[in-house]
Amino acid sequence: MSKKKTEENGALKSVSYAKWGYIFIIPFFVVYIFFTLVPQFLTIYNSFFESYRIGLEQVGPNYVGLENYRTLFSADSDGIILVLKYTFNTMWLWILGAVPQFVIALLLAIFFTSYRLNIKGQGFFKTVIYMPNLIMAAAFSMLFFTLFSRVGPIQALLEEWGWIDASFDFFSKRVTVRGMIALMNFLMWFGNTTIVLMAGIMGIDQSLFESATIDGANSVQVFFRVTMPLLMPIFVYCLITAMIGGIQMFDVPQVLTNGKGVPNEMTRTLVMYLNGYLTNKNYGMAGAISVFIFVITGILSGFVYKRLSAPYKDKTRLHRRRKGDVI
Amino acid sequence: MKKVFAILLACLMVLSLVACGNGKKAQGKVFNIYAWNEEFKGFFEKYYKVPEGVTVNWIINPSDNGVYQQKLDEALLNQANASADDKIDMFLAEADYIGKYVDSAYTMDITSFGFKNADTMYEYTIKAASDSKGVCKGVSFQCCPAAVIYRKSIAKDVLGTDVPEEVQAKIDTWEKFDDVAAQAKAKGYYMTASFAETFRAFSNNCTSPWVDANGNLQFDPQITAWMDQTEKYIKNGYTLTAGVWDAEKTNEMFKTGKTMCFFGPAWYYNFCMTNAMDPDNGCVGDWCIVKGPQAYFWGGTWLLAATGSDNTDMLKEIFETFTTNEDVVTKLVKDENQYPNNTKIAQKFADDKSYGNTAILDGQNDIAVFAELAKDIKWENHTNYDQLLNEGLQNKLQEFYNGSVDKDTAMKNFYQYVKETYPNIKLPQ
Repeated sequence: MSKKKTEENGALKSVSYAKWGYIFIIPFFVVYIFFTLVPQFLTIYNSFFESYRIGLEQVGPNYVGLENYRTLFSADSDGIILVLKYTFNTMWLWILGAVPQFVIALLLAIFFTSYRLNIKGQGFFKTVIYMPNLIMAAAFSMLFFTLFSRVGPIQALLEEWGWIDASFDFFSKRVTVRGMIALMNFLMWFGNTTIVLMAGIMGIDQSLFESATIDGANSVQVFFRVTMPLLMPIFVYCLITAMIGGIQMFDVPQVLTNGKGVPNEMTRTLVMYLNGYLTNKNYGMAGAISVFIFVITGILSGFVYKRLSAPYKDKTRLHRRRKGDVI
Repeated sequence: MKKVFAILLACLMVLSLVACGNGKKAQGKVFNIYAWNEEFKGFFEKYYKVPEGVTVNWIINPSDNGVYQQKLDEALLNQANASADDKIDMFLAEADYIGKYVDSAYTMDITSFGFKNADTMYEYTIKAASDSKGVCKGVSFQCCPAAVIYRKSIAKDVLGTDVPEEVQAKIDTWEKFDDVAAQAKAKGYYMTASFAETFRAFSNNCTSPWVDANGNLQFDPQITAWMDQTEKYIKNGYTLTAGVWDAEKTNEMFKTGKTMCFFGPAWYYNFCMTNAMDPDNGCVGDWCIVKGPQAYFWGGTWLLAATGSDNTDMLKEIFETFTTNEDVVTKLVKDENQYPNNTKIAQKFADDKSYGNTAILDGQNDIAVFAELAKDIKWENHTNYDQLLNEGLQNKLQEFYNGSVDKDTAMKNFYQYVKETYPNIKLPQ
């Protein structure tokens, strides 16, 4: 009798909790379906149509099958497939900014959470490093444009020091323009990453660090053998979100180069390319590019997720290692 | 109390109904204007008295990369569904794309609300605002004959004279202009301050449109002449690699500037030459204008009446204020340095020996020069694609001129840009 009652109670409880859980996430799913999922399918659908505007007249939509994709992947007279060039630009711009972003963020996160360093005034530093993220990307780009323009202060200063001559133009060289974009992305995002990684590190049991130290591990060993493995889920999350953001990079290069992607379209990203087609509401081509972006985002995210988190998810490997430890 | 209030309201309603029946259609309370900058807004607020109870909304989007046209198109396509107060009443359009709007059902015949084009208007301003059947859809408040605006002190140093007639004689063909550029260079000056400075002088003299009847992109000999000239100027250091609107160029208008010639119409003074008018670093009075190698016009702002506007009385008033109201038009010339779309007033100033522009020039009667040039302006060979093709060609070639890419790559990038922007245009093979 008593046993039955408990079962009943248990069953009741779990059912009611689950029910409320579902009820509470309904609003999210409704919004998600209507504002994200449906538009996503519409984008795919639109990519099979010829549909654009010439002035105030609408052309199409006419079903053209895979024609838009064919246009997208056809090589120009020099044998360059433009969409791949822009993909390369985008990835390159992202990597240039993301490598320092993650290295610095990791270092800072470790410094700030280290019980041995015990840095004073953390609140202040955390606020300051987060600051650049509060500025609108467009405003930040305008600031850089003004600073580095032909009549800007940096040009004048460097000329005065004799480092560059008067004909130097920051916006006519691939290295400088890409460098500026990478620097801006780095400055805007390293604070954010630091704070997320710090939260991750603080979630690790402090006693693990202490015992590693007592066992004689130096800080490098602690970092690679304790911190990193345990931080991996958060780190992978940061990396994938940063990468998705990177693939969709738009505002910084768009505003910095006034949509031109100078020099020679070397800083034109995929979304800038997409935006070019939107000038005349070319939903067909824009849709095809969006689908392409979606696919590469999926592939890259899956790849990063698999590669980085696999060693720590694979229970048998962990088990083996533990066995080895005993021996 | 409530009853009294109700009666009062009822009376008011009856009164307003009577007011409506008293003559014309009821007029809206909100007047929406689309524009791409603050230029006309300034004149509007100064010289037009908005009827009581009407709110004027300015919706301003920049013209760069076609943003203004995109926003305007969206609003116009939605015009039929918009509520009366959200409908566009009037919008501004430039010479480069006015045709797109004039030749559509989104603009309305100005005679439908009783406005008549005056004889004093320049013919080309009417032609530009008229559709293929000759129905006029708006007016321009300015006429834009353009000239060469030169620095007197530099001209004196380079040519030995700063008298307009003598300067004109030395630059009245492009060959002579090129020779003077070489002389200026030898003395350490620039002939022009932007690679695209002379673009309009060539492009507005084109004898064929950008796109032919079959949709083929074509380069007019004038455009190729500009490209050849600019290539030479950049190579020889006669000009700078800055764009027409860049700070690097406008800084050349300061007292310390080293540039002899600028190309522009009357609106150029206010719009581009504020550095020259700077009280401390400017050089007011060191400027004169001459016709230069080739007569041309540049830009101009038209006011178009949007179909569906419920403020037609106001539209009529605004059009009148800025074209035929002699008081206002006179002030536009005298106080705002504009060249008006009114031959009568323009001629009055041109004939007035005592009139001279001292706001920026040395007291020269610039209206007299512009009035001569205005007689030759013709409206032909324009397409709806002009703005984005002109802008795109300059942007892509700028990269060639500043040394980032070679000419072939620049042209390839331009064709790619055309392909993206206008999928219907056929590119040369």
